[in-house]
Amino acid sequence: MSLDAMPPAAGAAPAPAGSGSRALLKVEDLQVLFPIYKGLLRRQVGSVRAVDGLSFEVRKGETLGLVGESGCGKSTTGRAILRLTDITGGRVELDGVDVAALEGGELRRMRRRMQMIFQDPHASLNPRMTVASIIAEPLDEHMALGRKARQARVGELMDAVGLREDFASRYPHEFSGGQRQRIGIARALALDPDFIVCDEPIAALDVSIQAQVVNLLEDLQKKLGLTYLFISHDLSMVRHLASRVAVMYLGKIVELATREQLYASPRHPYTQALLSAVPSPDPAREASRERVILTGDVPSPANPPSGCRFRTRCPVAQPRCAAEVPEFRKLEDGRQVACHFAE
Amino acid sequence: MLTYTIRRLAFAVPTLLVISFLIFGILDLAPSDPTAQLPLTIPPEVREKIRLSLGLGDPFIVRYFKWLVQFMVNEPLNILEQWTGWTIGDGERLRVLSWQTRSPVVDLIVQRMPQTLWVVGMSYVVGIVIAIPIGVISAYRQYSWFDQFGTLFSMVGFSIPTFFTGLLFIVIFSVTLGWLPSIYDTTLVVEDWDSFVAQVKQMIMPTMVLGLYNASQLSRFMRASVLDNLNQDYVRTARAKGMTEKVVLLIHVLRNSMIPVVTVIALNLPQVFGGAIITEQIFRVNGLGQLLIGAIEGGDIPTVQTLTFIFAVLIVVFNLIADVLYGILDPRIRYD
Amino acid sequence: MRLRNLLSATAAAAALGALAGPALAERGADGQVNIIYWQAVSILNPYLSGGTKDVEGASLVLEPLARYDETGTMVPWLVEEIPTVENGGVSEDLMSITWKLKPGLKWSDGSDVTAADAVFTADYCMDETGGCQQVANYADVASVEAVDDLTIKITFTVPKPVPYGPFVGAQSPILQAAQFADCKGAKAPECTDANFGPIGTGPYVVAEFKPNDVVVYEANPHYREADKPAFGSVLLKGGGDAVSAARSVMETGEFDYAWNMQVEPEILAQMEARGIGKVISAYGTSVERFEVNMTNPDPDLGDLRSTVEGGPHPFLTDPKVTRALSMAIDREILVEAGYGAAGQVTCNVLPAPDLFNSTANDWCKTPDVDGANALLDEAGWVVGSDGVREKDGVKLSLLYQTSTNSVRQGTQALIKQMWQEIGVETELRNISGSVFFGGDPSSPDTFQKLYADVEMFTNNFDGTDPEKYMANWRCSEIPSPKNNWLGGNNPRFCSEEYDALVQTLAGTAKIEERAEIAKQLNDMLMESGAIIPLIHRGRVAAMANTIEGHAMNPWDSELWDIASWSRAK
Repeated sequence: MSLDAMPPAAGAAPAPAGSGSRALLKVEDLQVLFPIYKGLLRRQVGSVRAVDGLSFEVRKGETLGLVGESGCGKSTTGRAILRLTDITGGRVELDGVDVAALEGGELRRMRRRMQMIFQDPHASLNPRMTVASIIAEPLDEHMALGRKARQARVGELMDAVGLREDFASRYPHEFSGGQRQRIGIARALALDPDFIVCDEPIAALDVSIQAQVVNLLEDLQKKLGLTYLFISHDLSMVRHLASRVAVMYLGKIVELATREQLYASPRHPYTQALLSAVPSPDPAREASRERVILTGDVPSPANPPSGCRFRTRCPVAQPRCAAEVPEFRKLEDGRQVACHFAE
Repeated sequence: MLTYTIRRLAFAVPTLLVISFLIFGILDLAPSDPTAQLPLTIPPEVREKIRLSLGLGDPFIVRYFKWLVQFMVNEPLNILEQWTGWTIGDGERLRVLSWQTRSPVVDLIVQRMPQTLWVVGMSYVVGIVIAIPIGVISAYRQYSWFDQFGTLFSMVGFSIPTFFTGLLFIVIFSVTLGWLPSIYDTTLVVEDWDSFVAQVKQMIMPTMVLGLYNASQLSRFMRASVLDNLNQDYVRTARAKGMTEKVVLLIHVLRNSMIPVVTVIALNLPQVFGGAIITEQIFRVNGLGQLLIGAIEGGDIPTVQTLTFIFAVLIVVFNLIADVLYGILDPRIRYD
Repeated sequence: MRLRNLLSATAAAAALGALAGPALAERGADGQVNIIYWQAVSILNPYLSGGTKDVEGASLVLEPLARYDETGTMVPWLVEEIPTVENGGVSEDLMSITWKLKPGLKWSDGSDVTAADAVFTADYCMDETGGCQQVANYADVASVEAVDDLTIKITFTVPKPVPYGPFVGAQSPILQAAQFADCKGAKAPECTDANFGPIGTGPYVVAEFKPNDVVVYEANPHYREADKPAFGSVLLKGGGDAVSAARSVMETGEFDYAWNMQVEPEILAQMEARGIGKVISAYGTSVERFEVNMTNPDPDLGDLRSTVEGGPHPFLTDPKVTRALSMAIDREILVEAGYGAAGQVTCNVLPAPDLFNSTANDWCKTPDVDGANALLDEAGWVVGSDGVREKDGVKLSLLYQTSTNSVRQGTQALIKQMWQEIGVETELRNISGSVFFGGDPSSPDTFQKLYADVEMFTNNFDGTDPEKYMANWRCSEIPSPKNNWLGGNNPRFCSEEYDALVQTLAGTAKIEERAEIAKQLNDMLMESGAIIPLIHRGRVAAMANTIEGHAMNPWDSELWDIASWSRAK
């Protein structure tokens, strides 16, 4: 079933997120550290600063893109927000509720409102459960539905993601990658969440399938008024989907701006380097594209550089960068950048 | 799956024939003599006559085919007759006779099977019952004190041989405390509460000795398997769905972790029938293991041959069962 | 102590003389006695298995006409008296013997015991195709006939000064003709029911038998002595090892009697200290000895290795060398380390009965290292630079083999050291018992092939007459490829004088004369150095302190007097 065949969204889809709409998710100074143990007695000798002081907001109905190289802490951020990884510090507010402080039953109840679509559609589905039980399991846990109602809901969800209902009794391994990701999406939608973290949902798919899944995500957003945090390393896909984009480097956000601002005039040297690597579909622009080649490797998050974390690879680094941590400051045009020299 | 099973079974026939020939050949080449255990007062000429009366005068290949016919044709026909009450042929068939007892080997096996199944089988059950929780908790709380203790437990259990633990148990529970019998009473018939208690008492030590050994192996397997699954994305999915930790662990993780463990258990099951030679010997349980070791010591080749061949059959069959089980448990696997 | 009545003339009474007292007992009054044999009983027909455990397991049920008591004296069992030339039971020409059954004997199924049963038993065992393991007891039998219901006449093909082979001792009991009628010859092994539950005349009948595991016996209702046995049932459990069997009697008390305690003496002493049970022993004819190869075992000889054709041994045929080897051994140390109550020093290969025990070789009882050294010096063996004696380029270096068993390996190590002190180099070798004692002619490691210089093991003989035993060392008994390595003369000792003396023994009837000849034979073997005796080994058992009425018997089944066993109150 193609996406075009989907019925037009019932009810008014919320207007594309403007700067005025209310923040659904508020992240303040989020920190995730993984302890490192060494030696015979497994003493803690340090920690990996996977996410180190993130602050941002996601507004209701918008899609915030979160980009960065692999290992920069994007996925950890996504998991931390959903509390799938232990948070070391900071606040995560979803609709005014501090998710970071919730425990046990309260946290589980919050999961109705926030969900995740995983990168690997193969590994993220329990191989011993049928599609129907994968989708229905959260329904049983969180809603008291009768057998019929549950069946109907499963059908409805499968229909919504473009899967035939008679696939319900099959096992995940019987599907293709794209179909499996649709199952994953249906599963995420089952509890009618407001907020979904899409953790590189298309990275493991064939290019030909990627567009279908992205379109499905967009359609669902319009139809159901979903809010996405879209994590990806694929800048062009983020450009297509996101209304605002945050760029991460080594556990920190270096630049946060609207899509238009970011792609048109990146301010942070790292963002500039990233964007220069993206080929342009316009041959004229492509010919004039100047690539900024970053030298050196990404430093270890267990032992990040002092001052600005990007300074070891930054083409414009100054002695000041080693001494001072750049403030994550708001520029005049509303974007936020963590660089001493950004104007 | 059915065609697969049938094909595998068909392949098993020539394999087993070759195995039976090899076993027979090895036993024939091995220097053993059915008269070696007799007192030296029996003179050499008499020994030679005894050997001839046991059929050792025939050439190797003749003896092999005699055994093959006795075991593959006569014994099954006999069993068929006993089950159905029919008479096939004249009913005068030569059965595989043990040289030690001069009685049919199959009857000896039938007599000893229940003890082996009870004691060794129960030890497997005990092992599984102990191993699964230890494995799951160890993995779930990796590197906790419980995990460290579990690791120690399995290292100790695995590295200390059963003849030592058996002896230790006897010294503690039989000699010092006097709680449990050190010798298994094979004539005990369970008919009332008291005899049931006696049966349980005499089963405790052999079962626990073997059970702890099995548990230490299985718990490592279980731990590794659970650890493997705990880091899988689908477990994260389950948590994201807002399932309780109990459901995540028992439904998602445990079920998937059991797939390799169940097949390991199935593959090890022939050992149950093989009995635990040492443990049965220590506690004098009249199981198959004891029968085998006694037959080896006594140079009782027909018994050794028949037992080892039955073990070979069981290994082949349980390998197949393990594969089929894998196919049933893991929907990703299909044999066609 | 429990008292019992005695039928004054019976053999059982003779055995129990010390316990004689007024009648008081009742059959089955003492419940069950638990016996443990660490080798389990496989079959209850001693004619189909000569294994000690099987013979003794059957001895509770099957009985011979006469047997040996604890002193080695033959006592009438199912007969009125022992036939002798004096009482006319043995013919003057020594060609026949006539036994008279006690009247009124019953099988455990209630039928009468007759002479026909004995005739059948002899036929059963002498059948060529049956593989009877006790056929040696029927050697030289021409015929066995029933003169009347109670009279059995055995005729021999040669004069038999000791005609007590058939139907004497636990190895040769009477079977019931009716039960085994269809089990003769090739059909013998197929009669599983009969072989597992023979009908006998003994104090017990088989109630349950699990081969290679356990036998349960119940008192025989037709047993000839109304008040016996005192134990209503016997449990004979098998399997495991000797140490744990000893433990079950002397430490946990689960069992009352354990057979054949081949256990290190200090372990037994420790267990005995608990005070539940005790170690009992008795000495028969078992001797742990060296058999010394008189032929050359040099591997270079190929097929002629260790054969008479291969030539004599380079130095072991010199009695001075073998005597020095014997003198160097401190046998007391060997006893202390490995045998305890189960062994004593001996200088004869024929140490018992007392009448047959020579004193000519007692010099070996005291070790004499200096004497041994002097003897070797005298014989021209000079100590070389490596401490090993040599003469004409030949070194005094021995390959010493035995079966695998912890006591034997301990003994090997001790003797190696003792021989080192007289400049003899020793290479040790041990071979699994099933190979060593198994007569596989294709194996190079059997004790008959003796591809070594010396070998150590134990041998003995049934009953009290050594004629057959001493005949082992005749020239004709030398194992060689010609007789497929069958033969009991492992040292390859060969002396015309010895052979002639054996012949004389076979023709001598008077016991004192026989003893004299047997001693001479023994001394000839000792002097030639073909055999170096080490230890006179006893039967050792562990018995609960509560068991009474048992006399340890090295000459017959250990359970020969089980009808008289009782439990102390």
